[in-house]
Amino acid sequence: MTNTNRFMPAITAALLLQAVAAFTAEESIDAQLQSAVIQAVDRVAPSVVQIETVGGLERVEGQLLGAGPTTGLIVDPTGYIVSSTFNFASKPASILVRLPDGSRKPAKLVATDHARMLVLLKIEADKPLPVGEHFPRSQMRVGQWVVAVGKSFDGERPNLALGILSALDRVWGKAVQTDAAVSPNNYGGPLIDLEGRILGILAPLSPKAAGQIGGMEWYDSGIGFAVPLEDVLKALPRLKKGEDLHPGLAGITLKGENIYTNRPIIAACMPKCPATAAGLKAEDEIVEINGRAVGRAVEVNTEIGRLYAGDSVDVAVLRDGKRVNAKMQLAAKLEPFEHGFLGILPMRGGGRPGAAIRYVYPNSPAAAAGLKPGEVLVSLDGKPIANRFDLIAKIGLLEPGAEVRLAVSADGTERQVTAVLAAIPTDPPSQDFPPAETAAPVETAAQIGPVPLKIPEFTNEAWAYIPESYKSGASCGVVVWLHAPGGYDWNDLSAVWKPICDRYNFILLAPKSADPARWTPGESDFIDQLLDQLNSTYGVDRARIVVHGYQGGGSMAFLAALNNRDMIRAVAAVEAIMMGKLPQNEPTRRLAVYIAAAEKSQLGAMVKRIAEAFTKAKFPVTTINLGDTPRYLNEEEMMQLARWIDALDRI
Amino acid sequence: MKLKIDILGYRRTSRTILKTLAILLALGIPASAAVVETFREVHPKIVKVYGAGGFSGMESYQSGILISPQGHVLTAFSYVLDTDYITVQLSDGRELDAKLIGADPRLDAAVLKIEADGLPCFDLSKAVALSPGERVLAFSNVFGVALGDEPVSVQLGSVAAIAQLAARRGVFETPYRGPVYVLDMTTNNPGAAGGALVTIDGKLAGMLGKELRNSLNNTWLNYALPIDQLRKSVDEIRSGKFVADREEEQAKKPSRALNPAMLGILLVPDVLERTPPYVDRVAAGSPAKRAGILPDDLIVLSGDRLVQSCKALVEEMSFVDYADPIKLTIIRGGQLIEFTLRHAPE
Repeated sequence: MTNTNRFMPAITAALLLQAVAAFTAEESIDAQLQSAVIQAVDRVAPSVVQIETVGGLERVEGQLLGAGPTTGLIVDPTGYIVSSTFNFASKPASILVRLPDGSRKPAKLVATDHARMLVLLKIEADKPLPVGEHFPRSQMRVGQWVVAVGKSFDGERPNLALGILSALDRVWGKAVQTDAAVSPNNYGGPLIDLEGRILGILAPLSPKAAGQIGGMEWYDSGIGFAVPLEDVLKALPRLKKGEDLHPGLAGITLKGENIYTNRPIIAACMPKCPATAAGLKAEDEIVEINGRAVGRAVEVNTEIGRLYAGDSVDVAVLRDGKRVNAKMQLAAKLEPFEHGFLGILPMRGGGRPGAAIRYVYPNSPAAAAGLKPGEVLVSLDGKPIANRFDLIAKIGLLEPGAEVRLAVSADGTERQVTAVLAAIPTDPPSQDFPPAETAAPVETAAQIGPVPLKIPEFTNEAWAYIPESYKSGASCGVVVWLHAPGGYDWNDLSAVWKPICDRYNFILLAPKSADPARWTPGESDFIDQLLDQLNSTYGVDRARIVVHGYQGGGSMAFLAALNNRDMIRAVAAVEAIMMGKLPQNEPTRRLAVYIAAAEKSQLGAMVKRIAEAFTKAKFPVTTINLGDTPRYLNEEEMMQLARWIDALDRI
Repeated sequence: MKLKIDILGYRRTSRTILKTLAILLALGIPASAAVVETFREVHPKIVKVYGAGGFSGMESYQSGILISPQGHVLTAFSYVLDTDYITVQLSDGRELDAKLIGADPRLDAAVLKIEADGLPCFDLSKAVALSPGERVLAFSNVFGVALGDEPVSVQLGSVAAIAQLAARRGVFETPYRGPVYVLDMTTNNPGAAGGALVTIDGKLAGMLGKELRNSLNNTWLNYALPIDQLRKSVDEIRSGKFVADREEEQAKKPSRALNPAMLGILLVPDVLERTPPYVDRVAAGSPAKRAGILPDDLIVLSGDRLVQSCKALVEEMSFVDYADPIKLTIIRGGQLIEFTLRHAPE
């Protein structure tokens, strides 16, 4: 006992010293981190430049653009500088680069990388410019400290934001993710490690790729992206030659609705596209791309998403149990796809297999084949038709001119017919179609009539009107009404739409913009979430979801449709110009277009061009001329629009 | 009295046990020991300020910093103080009526007074200056989540930059023109204004600013005002010597200023939102003509400031007295060329 007591003071002292050492070591870690950050920024600062622009647009896609200085990174001693396309969305008349020593140099825009949203600039350098050290992608580790560097404020030093590397492979393989504050204050600048080595270039990227400036609305959100410098350097030789780079397209549509869980089985290869040229076929299951195994549809998107138009891809597929190798050369543009038209409206409501015919369009392939209302289409080209959605999907892969064999059941007998698909008619319907339902009343606790809706993350209000017919089992579509600047009064709005909703069986969904004067691109998320909520509560008719808007609401309708091709099947815009980029028509994601404007007005000329662009891209476009002065639809035109919506599940 | 306790067959005294316990506690110190300690020291010096909601039900709360034991509170000069009933809530939950004893609108800073004694507080004269990249803590009642005696919220971040708000005209809607600490953490949320920016070891360095939009890139600025910019005004307000009508630091426009036409420069028609300031024609015999400015030249700098549009150029020139020389930089054929011009006397 006394022996151990003698050692106690020594042990106590040792333990105390250890505790003190631990305490002071912890304190100085902050100081060490701080000085490492400052030194890292100082190390890369000679290659970080400030970019100023003169002239240019104030607004792009409804978003107010800043005129302020932005950031760029010197990537070549002869004066090549990389920055984010965000900084040039305004299309400035002149670009000035301010070097770290304060001197200003005029810059030329050499080329644009539309896939990674970067630009290459060139200045005349009187002496070799400093280029930072690059940090290889293979060494990046999630959790490592990173600093986002920008030069948007005046002053000698760049501004910094500290964070960690959150993820390595984002935005279809194009970016790494960080929680450091990434914003217009540092877009175009470098993301560095604590030793000042460059991981990538900061840029607003959005997996949804909505327009030129998609992604900016995420600043201050905890999510920021950088394009790895390695990828930029790979593309640099082509960019230096003045070659604009575009995302590479293959023209493959994959099966299934959920890209995250579905296996990558090809539903169709668009005609005259790289996949078809490489010999890929429907039903092929993709198993490998450029040496990387893929097991889910989303992985195909990621692997191809990394590549540019003109790049060659090695693809391996399973066909009838055997492995087949192919080589595709990705294209910048695909030949537009046009949906073929049989000429019927299907009955709605389930119960039996096949698609029952509700209406046969006169002078259509269906009429020529002798099909009649009441008959049931049982199979297409030998494959059984489960329901109208199945038939819509099957016909959706075929273009006008395709021949189809149909098995038709009527009065107990079955017969075979053939038809050659035509183009989708675009004349607006002049009268009501026969009833579409034979369904039975449903037991439902869901609320009918006017219903207020709320999405947690959004302050915006929204209303919906659920028609009475929902209770009697009718399949209800959705009309998303996007109001013109000024908002709307729900009582007035529902009074106008109630009879239409009741008669044609659709739900009116009316969100309100947060700022009554305008819609903002971020609100397209709000619309998506409202649709999801409606769908989960009411089970809406997926074939008849339309966004409809007037003036600014119409522009927003275009953007909403662009951002949600999975759910939105049509856009009906009145007196509105398009916000966003013209989409591509895809076999599995139909989009019907209804455009109404006073042709004689100034806006009318612009609207006409939009209609022509959609038509050229092979979308079915219905145009309505409202006469001499811009206005909303009158009662007759509204009924016509309602009928057009009713017919959206045409096959 | 010493208790003799049997532990595992060995006899120990209570003192030894206490020593061992103390050591074990010390070894259990959490990783950010300094931050934990600073939090304990600082949060009692931060108060919650409740006042007016202004129009359309805006948030009626913000934060404040105790700067004297008798209850002087440094806070942001905002619409929240636009009422006769300002309440300050201390960290122990006590709610006290506060009086606005003065404000400096130029600094967006105000001083309140509550009746109390012996309060924990900061001494403004001991405030420190920060350097870029420095790790800092922001204490505030952001979003008003702290109620009653709940301590205010604390955020950790770095000083992103030290920037002059005066650099460009009309960019920030605030009369303050001096330097600010730009932060890399999100502090520009309701309730944060008036909160404290401190170093890791708890020294006061700044006051969190109001929600301010940077109109150059349409982002909200996360920033704090350095204490050394506020100190003089706050001291004067406290001693009753403050004079509100201070001369605006913003440059005054001369009674007779320059414009492009006076120099013989005729710009292209200003029809776009941001018409680039291209020279359309140069008047014969004018200073511009003599200097060698040509049609199609694009004017990019007036003095050292970028002019991004015809409107911006005219605005910049309106600060230059008509008798003074002006330096214009143009781009011609991808080259920057400087000219110094002077309006010819009549």
